[in-house]
Amino acid sequence: MISKATYSEQDLVTQLQERNEKAFSYLYDNYSGALYGIINSIVTDKEIANDVLQNVFVNIWKKIESYDASKGRLFTWMLNIARNASIDEIRSKGFRHSQQNQSLNENVDVSGASTEATIEDVGLKKVLSNLKSEWRILVDMSYFQGFTHEEISKILNIPLGTVKTRIRSALSQLRTMIQT
Amino acid sequence: MNVQEYISSGNIESYVLGLASEEERKEFENMCSQYPEVLNARNAFELALEKSAIENAITPATDIKNKILLEISSTAKVIPLSEAPVKSINWFKYAAAACVVLLAGSLYWNISLMNKNQTLQNDYQSSVAKLSEMEKDFEILQQNPNVKMASMKGLETSPQAFATVYWDTTSHDVYLLMNNLPKPASDKQYQIWALLDGKPIDVGLIDNEYFIKQNRLLVKAKNVQNAQGFAITLEKKGGNPTPQGTMIVLGNL
Repeated sequence: MISKATYSEQDLVTQLQERNEKAFSYLYDNYSGALYGIINSIVTDKEIANDVLQNVFVNIWKKIESYDASKGRLFTWMLNIARNASIDEIRSKGFRHSQQNQSLNENVDVSGASTEATIEDVGLKKVLSNLKSEWRILVDMSYFQGFTHEEISKILNIPLGTVKTRIRSALSQLRTMIQT
Repeated sequence: MNVQEYISSGNIESYVLGLASEEERKEFENMCSQYPEVLNARNAFELALEKSAIENAITPATDIKNKILLEISSTAKVIPLSEAPVKSINWFKYAAAACVVLLAGSLYWNISLMNKNQTLQNDYQSSVAKLSEMEKDFEILQQNPNVKMASMKGLETSPQAFATVYWDTTSHDVYLLMNNLPKPASDKQYQIWALLDGKPIDVGLIDNEYFIKQNRLLVKAKNVQNAQGFAITLEKKGGNPTPQGTMIVLGNL
């Protein structure tokens, strides 16, 4: 897909900031699948995932002015919009729903080792499935479910410092897995 | 700080994946500006992440793109307009308000003109009617050579009273012109008499309505075959077969 590119990232950003709809169409054609993959790894309902994708692209169009290239690549910026929108969506599903998630995760912690790779993961989650299970849960809760370190510490009954170091280790492991 | 240690301790991933706290973000941005190794490592991870995400892409349904393009094209059109319309909306509001005021004023003006017009038309019609009655009455007097006239002067009880009788000697019609007769009391009525050889002949009553409306120049009385003079007396309402009341005016032909 990248090989099809007729825009350099800088050109693309400039044209998007000039409200060029052709550039936006190009952006969608090249990145909607990748972002939809992320959304689907957080939001399980297909209809909701479609709505989130739509909102994400509309927000990219509206907020393109606030994109700052010095802080990261355009895709990273879009990925964070997609992740945040997805997390907001699953969190807004109601407190009861998140309570269910919490109790589920407590169970997962107890029998964590046995759940390894039984669910067919999509997108980045597939990469995640290669992590050690004790790390995977932490990354899953932190990245894909949007829990704060404090929340994870409480839910899993692990000291906050341990949560932080384990997540950092997991993330750095993730990097080596992705980059190879 | 050991830069390599900083790079390998999950800071880059935490920042790029949006998991870093505000404090950690600021620290990382500082590190990037100070150490090109950190920036390079960040770029490398971002590229790898992007590549991985594209490899794991899921193609969305085709109609979603159209929905998005429709939604952004509506905002795309709104955005360039959003500068000017603030003023033009206000202008429009004022213009609309002014139009409403003008319309209300115009309506009020039209209605009052219409009412005035109606009143004028009514007045005009009644004036025309009154004038045509008077013209008819006047024709009787002016164009008929056979009309005899008798001025009836006020008597002792009513020296100011004055009336005129016109008698058509061919048709024998009697017309009365009330130059100055006071309005009678509601239970009284003026009665007109023709005088022949000293005898009064009843030629009719003057309707009291005349003194209210006064839209006739002349009052037509009954025919009389012959007369030497005329008189008006004030009688009880409905009149009398022979004069009973006070005589007001008297005159001879």
